[in-house]
Amino acid sequence: MTVTENPRTYKYVGTRPVRHDGLDKVTGKARFAADLDMTGQLRAALVRSPHAHARIVSIDTSKAEAMPGVKAVVTGADFADLDPTHPEFDMAVNLMARDEALYNGHVVAAVAAVTAAQAAAAAAAVEVDYEPLPAVLTIDEAIAEGAPIANPTNRTLFSGDTEPSNLASVNEFGRGDVEAGFEAADIILEREFRTVAVHQGYIEPHACVADCGQDGKATIWASSQGHFAVRSKTAAALGWSTDRIKVIPAEIGGGFGGKTTIYLEPVAVLLSQKAARPVKLVMSREEVLRATGPAPATKITAKMGATNDGEITTLQSTMYFDNGSTKGFSALTGAMSVASYKLPNLELHAIGTVTNTARSAAYRAPSAPQAAFAVETLIDELAQQLGVDPIDLRLQNAVVEGDVTAMSMPHPKIGFVETLEAIKNSDHYNSPVPQGAGRGVATGFWFNIGEQSSATVNLNEDGTATVVTGSPDIGGSRASMALMAAEELGLAVDRITPIVADTESVGFTDITEGSRATFATGMAVVNACRELIEQLKQRAATIKSVDVEQVEWVDGAAVIEGQDPLTIPEITAMAKNTGGPLTATASLNAAGAGPSFAVHVADVAVDEETGETTILRYTAAQDAGTAIHPSYVEGQIQGGSVQGIGWALNEEYIYDSDGVMENASFLDYRMPVASDLPMIDAIIVEVPNPSHPYGVRGVGETGIVPPIPTLANAIAAATGVRMTALPMSPPRLLAAITESAGS
Amino acid sequence: MATVHLQADHRRFTGGEKTLQVDGSTVGDLITELERRYPGLGPLLTDGASVAINGELIPNGIFEKVDASTEVYFVAPISGG
Repeated sequence: MTVTENPRTYKYVGTRPVRHDGLDKVTGKARFAADLDMTGQLRAALVRSPHAHARIVSIDTSKAEAMPGVKAVVTGADFADLDPTHPEFDMAVNLMARDEALYNGHVVAAVAAVTAAQAAAAAAAVEVDYEPLPAVLTIDEAIAEGAPIANPTNRTLFSGDTEPSNLASVNEFGRGDVEAGFEAADIILEREFRTVAVHQGYIEPHACVADCGQDGKATIWASSQGHFAVRSKTAAALGWSTDRIKVIPAEIGGGFGGKTTIYLEPVAVLLSQKAARPVKLVMSREEVLRATGPAPATKITAKMGATNDGEITTLQSTMYFDNGSTKGFSALTGAMSVASYKLPNLELHAIGTVTNTARSAAYRAPSAPQAAFAVETLIDELAQQLGVDPIDLRLQNAVVEGDVTAMSMPHPKIGFVETLEAIKNSDHYNSPVPQGAGRGVATGFWFNIGEQSSATVNLNEDGTATVVTGSPDIGGSRASMALMAAEELGLAVDRITPIVADTESVGFTDITEGSRATFATGMAVVNACRELIEQLKQRAATIKSVDVEQVEWVDGAAVIEGQDPLTIPEITAMAKNTGGPLTATASLNAAGAGPSFAVHVADVAVDEETGETTILRYTAAQDAGTAIHPSYVEGQIQGGSVQGIGWALNEEYIYDSDGVMENASFLDYRMPVASDLPMIDAIIVEVPNPSHPYGVRGVGETGIVPPIPTLANAIAAATGVRMTALPMSPPRLLAAITESAGS
Repeated sequence: MATVHLQADHRRFTGGEKTLQVDGSTVGDLITELERRYPGLGPLLTDGASVAINGELIPNGIFEKVDASTEVYFVAPISGG
């Protein structure tokens, strides 16, 4: 379902063709990184720290090197020494420990052998002498007075401090006078919220193949969200120049932010260089869960004031986000995502911590779901206390164009009010709550970003087109590129082939992150197409012997008054006679990303004997700006909702007292499956972004923000129990219900 | 001379000033001038902030032109997942 204020009608944009890569995906023909095999290829295995924190006294690889089939072994000593202030220092140390192992699962050595079994056996034979050190495992432990230092290279960002610290960052945002805001309030609500680390849960484990040649150059086949970033990060970790590395993108089996960094590629390259053979390195699911980017655990206190007529007068919050073993910006983005309400008085303290747990990574609207849990829970309680409709209360306080964010920057044109109204007017919201169930509502915001993109559009001699970009397709972006090219050129979408090219075959392109690919790379495609149309008009003028000013481009053809139109195939067939191949390239640094809002509503039933929550009905509305391919927009809304539902109800990293993850498998790390879920009804709201030629905002991330508070609010409505810690799993919810009944 | 808006975080360098008039024809010029006035602030704006001009986020915007009508916001770095 689409609710639109989009005034334009398009021929191709907004349609739902079968995705160009769909057949390969459903027939198993698509090749992911782990599917690739090279002649003479070795298999690699990693040696990981059994300690959460330990000094590496020595590493003896002699026994491993003498084992059958072993061709190369590397340790931290083989890697470039980077200064701790280098922007890639933490990434480089995370993929291979140097002086200290910083978490359980931290890689300390790697082995390449003829077979995977030989590599695993040799990895087990690497002898590492550890001196265990005190480990810091939680936010509370990190900030405790006299806490041991989790990572001796960490300095608090931009503090000027020269001493090691467990604080990664300490930042403050605000405006107005919060104390005056509380004085003006009739109702003041205050709570503390806790969330635990959760994983992105992509179905494809990290994998790569590296082949280092005798010329000192390496080719890498990798699954990632950005192969140019794989190149630059690998170069940084090895101390190489980027021209020595070519990265060929494999198909990607999900990323959700977790594949914006790298873990394997520099290790595989060094092993390949040492062995002079290609090396394949594939993580197991256990390795993925133990040692790749979970989303941060958090501890958030929030205090909100409001008047009896529903005006929110103030918000004060302190947000701790745990980055795991290294520094990061997770706390900043969490605080900055408080952007949905006018909040005349605001004070946010954002504090990032460092602990001896796996280094956290981006996860779909990074840090916003945790912050939304706190803010949207308090707003729900406020609506409850005031006895008003929770959507009406949000509409009363909702930001519109010109209102400022937590960063004090004014919102551009946004569609928050329209998205709230889409849920308010939905069949779901206007249906009675099922007997014994509870209904919850919550909202979410995400910035979306622009950044650098490149595209080349080649017209072939028969009038078909190839659209070449550098954005790995993690959510249907190839289909979106083809649709925008089709609209520009007036060429049927099935005559366009969109491809993702390697780092030597297309201009630099930033990572597919921040919901930017359809927005920014799409703009590059549009610009290239518009350049191509100018060329087509010129060629048509040559063919018809008229001035180019007499040629117009209308619906895929050059139109000259008084003459038959010239179609693209007619023009490309004569390209060799009129100047040669028709091709155009565009690169840009995209500004004007359009923020996105989502509003969700859920009906849940809670079994008060088991604590199990069953979602009876779930509807999600989101402002897409313009939905280029509505099926994939709906898919993004549904996928984000499901990941948020898992985060809310079941998912959690469970550590023992030594910092060992106890549930490092999908059997024990409980992600939702189809049988856990109802159909997620998606409502696409279209308030076009004026900074994009088709109004695109980006849709990949916002959908994960509302589900946690939506379900917490629904559970509160169903049970009367207000959950403030995640996950709201059956044992935890049952304990809370039992405690509430007892009190 | 552009109008520069700073986050609460930056204001420890400016004695609490959150909105400043700053000379310069590019965002980079503004950062140079702010570092001259408030030593230590420059690296925060160069490495630790994104730039928004007249409400529009501009990635890597150090050479963006500014003039007397320009509102420049230095905001925390934004990426995504």
